[in-house]
Amino acid sequence: MKVELTINRRKGIFEVEPNELLINLLREKIRLTGTKYGCGIGMCGACTVLLDGEPVLACLTLAVDADGGEVETIEGVAREGKLDDLQEAFLEEGAVQCGYCTPGFIMTAKALLNENPSPSEDEIRGYLKGNYCRCTGYVNIIKAVQRAAEKRKRIGKQEI
Amino acid sequence: MNINKVDTHIIPFEFEYHSPESLEETVKLLEKYGSEASILAGGTDLLVNMKKRITEPKHLVNIKKIAELNGIVETPEGVRIGATTKLRSIEKSEMVRERLPVLYEAVRLMGSIQVRNMATIGGNLCNASPAADSAIALLALDAKTDIIGQSGLRSIFLSEFFLGPGKTVLRRGEFLTGLSISSLPEGSGSSFLKVGRTSMDIATINIATFLRLRKGVVENCRIALGAVAPIPLRIFRAEDYLKGKAISKDAVEEAAQIVSEDIKPITDLRATAEYRRDVSKALTRDALTISWERAKGRR
Amino acid sequence: MADHNSFHFLGKKTIRKDGLAKVLGAEKYASDLSIPGMLYARVLKSPFPRARVKSIDVSKSEGMGAVVITFIEMPRIRFCPRLVSTPEATYKDWRVLSGNPLYVGEPIAAVASESEEDAQRALEAIEVDFEVLEPYMNALDSLKGGEGLLHENVVFNEKEIQVENNIACRLEITEGDVQKGFSESDVVIEREFRTNRRYHNQLENKSVLVSPEVDGGVSLWSTSQTIHNTRLLLHEIFGIPVSKIRVHKAALGGSFGSSIQTNTIVPIAVALALKARRPIKLSYTREEDMRDHSSYQMIFRMKLGAKKDGKLQAGELNMIMDIGAHQVQAYPLLGCVVGWWVSLYKLPNLRYVGKAVYTNKVPSCALRGYGNPQTTWATESMMDELAEALGMDPLDLRLKNYIGKGDLFWGQGPTVKSIINSCGVEEILRRGAELIGWENRPKPFAQRGRFRRGIGLGRGYHTSSAGSPIPGTVIDYTGAILKVNEDGTLDYITAMMDQGGGTLDAHAKIISEEIGVPVDNVNVVVADTQTTVYDVNTHASRGVYAGGGVALMVARQVKAKILEFAGRALEAYPHALKIRPDEELGQAVIYAEGLTSKQITLGELASMARVKNWGTIAAVESLRPGSCPPHFTGYFIEVEVDTETGKVKPLKVVAGADIGTVINPDLAAGQIHGGFAMGWSMAILEDTPYSESGDLLNQGMMTDYKTPTTLDLPKLDDFKVFFVETYEPSGPFGAKGIGEGALNPVAGAVANAIYNALGIRFYVLPMTPNMILKALKDRERIK
Ligand code: FES
Ligand code: FES
Repeated sequence: MKVELTINRRKGIFEVEPNELLINLLREKIRLTGTKYGCGIGMCGACTVLLDGEPVLACLTLAVDADGGEVETIEGVAREGKLDDLQEAFLEEGAVQCGYCTPGFIMTAKALLNENPSPSEDEIRGYLKGNYCRCTGYVNIIKAVQRAAEKRKRIGKQEI
Repeated sequence: MNINKVDTHIIPFEFEYHSPESLEETVKLLEKYGSEASILAGGTDLLVNMKKRITEPKHLVNIKKIAELNGIVETPEGVRIGATTKLRSIEKSEMVRERLPVLYEAVRLMGSIQVRNMATIGGNLCNASPAADSAIALLALDAKTDIIGQSGLRSIFLSEFFLGPGKTVLRRGEFLTGLSISSLPEGSGSSFLKVGRTSMDIATINIATFLRLRKGVVENCRIALGAVAPIPLRIFRAEDYLKGKAISKDAVEEAAQIVSEDIKPITDLRATAEYRRDVSKALTRDALTISWERAKGRR
Repeated sequence: MADHNSFHFLGKKTIRKDGLAKVLGAEKYASDLSIPGMLYARVLKSPFPRARVKSIDVSKSEGMGAVVITFIEMPRIRFCPRLVSTPEATYKDWRVLSGNPLYVGEPIAAVASESEEDAQRALEAIEVDFEVLEPYMNALDSLKGGEGLLHENVVFNEKEIQVENNIACRLEITEGDVQKGFSESDVVIEREFRTNRRYHNQLENKSVLVSPEVDGGVSLWSTSQTIHNTRLLLHEIFGIPVSKIRVHKAALGGSFGSSIQTNTIVPIAVALALKARRPIKLSYTREEDMRDHSSYQMIFRMKLGAKKDGKLQAGELNMIMDIGAHQVQAYPLLGCVVGWWVSLYKLPNLRYVGKAVYTNKVPSCALRGYGNPQTTWATESMMDELAEALGMDPLDLRLKNYIGKGDLFWGQGPTVKSIINSCGVEEILRRGAELIGWENRPKPFAQRGRFRRGIGLGRGYHTSSAGSPIPGTVIDYTGAILKVNEDGTLDYITAMMDQGGGTLDAHAKIISEEIGVPVDNVNVVVADTQTTVYDVNTHASRGVYAGGGVALMVARQVKAKILEFAGRALEAYPHALKIRPDEELGQAVIYAEGLTSKQITLGELASMARVKNWGTIAAVESLRPGSCPPHFTGYFIEVEVDTETGKVKPLKVVAGADIGTVINPDLAAGQIHGGFAMGWSMAILEDTPYSESGDLLNQGMMTDYKTPTTLDLPKLDDFKVFFVETYEPSGPFGAKGIGEGALNPVAGAVANAIYNALGIRFYVLPMTPNMILKALKDRERIK
């Protein structure tokens, strides 16, 4: 079957089987390996991508079901060689250890900040609870999201 | 589970994909393929079951293209929610928050933000998990299900919808189109509580209660619990006990006692039957007390 | 340089070097790699915990075009996947594929096809006829041996030895006179503890990519904490010349000890690649990974005796550990457990008996702390009980007995003893107590009401490396190469892996500090076995201490050469020259103080050395640490228990650590945050129970392997981390490790906090709501 997807702002037509998952289309077919497999059943959030702006799990999304949609992956977050505030903040707060969870966290956090530019700590924690990290105990990740929100406020940046 | 058949990287078998755009077309497809077909809505349960090889449909019928199945609308009695409405949309809906606060409370605690963005209310109900948070809240609201099939529409109460784990009253060719729910009336209060191992867990046990008071007397009452029986359960005996009684701490305590006697919990990975029985009492007491408090405030 | 306040780079916040690739999604983990023409592999696993394959028919899968290997055609060799111990401490009982599977999930055969789907179909087409045997799902049953032996014999020190009563190995140690010690004690207590069997749940599942080379060798990338030992093991199994096996580093998506050994899938993928003559990619799914490795479950019987004044007189520890179906490192662990135990508190008389027992469960291996979190949980629970029996403050009892500066300790077991030269235990305990409000903590039996609070203390430590003054049975050394490029940057080449903790960043900073070059100018090269010198493993919290130690050695040598060349270039005396990192130039500048004409950048110098044919400035070194200094930690944890649901909430955490000189403050704090989360999870959530049929009850699904989420851990303001100032004379710039010490005391502190809240002591992990509620009910009943 043919599906049309806009992936990181580039439109493409892909030939897929009905049972093909979005995660495998991304990772195997077009080698965007920033989206990670962690559990395959919706429990870890490592495969989080934005579909039409909303965070979804690529491991439980059929490629055919995403037809016509706009997909954003971690590879699309930096623009013109410039890091997003979240990416910067993750580096600055030491929120990255092994880094395997990082893409998923950044994608979810990006959706959060778009929806709610100044979330409280509780709101951040609530929004990110589906993203699993074994390394950090989440402390520096929460701080990084707070920092990114502050950065955006300072420079008056809205949704991007 | 045959461990050599499971590969959660992929869906290891082939199927035919259908994406009908009307109800009639859908009914026809379901009628035609019967048990070989599965309905794809959010996919968060179905795809997991397919990966685990619990179900291997030959036909997948995606109903998300059918516009009339999606959305939350106002009705004279309250609210109608389409079957493919995302949990996240329900959570965000002002109307739901105002008129059906217990549903908002339940949905908000379900899964992760990602799952709530994908999962639909209809899918959640049709999966017929005995622990489904949404089902518990909707039972407390006495929601009605709208079902369509070859012989047309029918409507039944959600309390009659579940038959067992993964089993519902839906017949060949039938599917759920939505839910009709009455707004919480004046003088009523509701609440939803859940105990899980972590903040992202299927309920070890959950409860939703609804109380309507008139001059301190229980005029109407509903109590529903999850993960305590093969289906999401209304505890009618406790409801009947409370109805017509002056609300009091003792009455609440007695209702909680009845609940703990009438549930039929099992021991599983999440908890022992004994634990569920013990906690059901505390949860019932808490939930009724909150509902009572809220009923006082809601005039 | 001993004055650690004048550091240029150490102790300052810097951005980790691999961070950029990680936030961009560009970092390549083993599971992300691919090579044109590669085949996808899948493994046929035993569905039974104990069975014998009577026959296996792969013709259908081969008919589908798949490349298939089975246990029948594998090399006959038995091996141990972990190459850290010397041969006289290594037991071998593994095969690449097995015809006598001993746990659900044990690989029997494997297939490779053009796509994962094809491979999966080919896998399903294999027909196997099993003779199903009665399994041992419990170490105590296994010891009775009623159903025969799981391994008739194993290979030890290159000879076959018989196995008795399913005991994989045992160790007994006696020092002093225990009987006398107990009879001279005023208080003696004895308790039994049972730990959980946890799963690492590292986010990246085990993965490998192998490419067969034209010379008969292979190149590979895998989830590994040791590229050199992977190479040596593959040589041992397949007989491929060592020099023709090229193991590349690939970023690790967490490991926590689960890749100290070469992972099960690696030799399988190599065998497939050799047969197919095509590159092979083999990535485990989560459900496969969960049936691949787990922690050691331990049953302790511990006895402690003390005088009225709190001085410990004697200790006795009997330990039985369930190691699952194969040995990864059970024998050295028997030594470590006694080491962990006797190195916390001074025991003038002690006796220890440790037994490692085979069962039909997923094989156990190190999980962050290598038995230390388990042992410390039991010991710290005992110390609180002892304090109560003595009527002492638990804090005072610890201060009275702890092993500190000047004392002998044997952290990594009886063959790894050394003297402690730096110790911040007292300060950790005193400051921690103050921050948490220890003085005002509740009395264990004083509380009524539904929600009860408690504060608990746990202290612990871990070794930094497994070094010691004499060789012992643990191999522990590491090497590094450092060279100066013509632009003034340096290439730092090490075989050591970074598990995510920022180990290699610490090395870069050490090099920068020693030479005086900007940190940005030190490149950490992604290397392989051909281009690096040997490193044993990134384990035992040795990354910063041992790896940093050798980084410092090569830095010193390179610095000496830089000064020598600069002396020539500037016509000055080398020993009179200095080096400073010049932020503006982005370069190191070598200069003679006060003489502005006498200075040269490192880039200019290196270029000059080239045109003048002086040669490249470079150094290569190996370092065997002469000790394994303990890094100390202490946790004060406040919890709230809901007596109606049995749920425990962490309200407040104060964590203190002595890690010597702090090199990377936020990464070190990050280790503690992660260590706490893992310890909390160990205390109240994690376990892998088995079903009647001998498989994991959760069937490998993360749905039922619970760990805390963002919402289940303390708020930012309620989690305080502090470092006490010490200086470890044997460490690079005074530094020690942190990775494992960050976790070890947590479960003990939680157990003590729960006791403080409820007045109930739990001897089984995890302490679930079920258990807590039941205990509360039982107490009511007795009342
Ligand atoms: S891989 Fe998709 S949620 Fe874990
Ligand atoms: S940084 Fe390793 S899993 Fe999050």
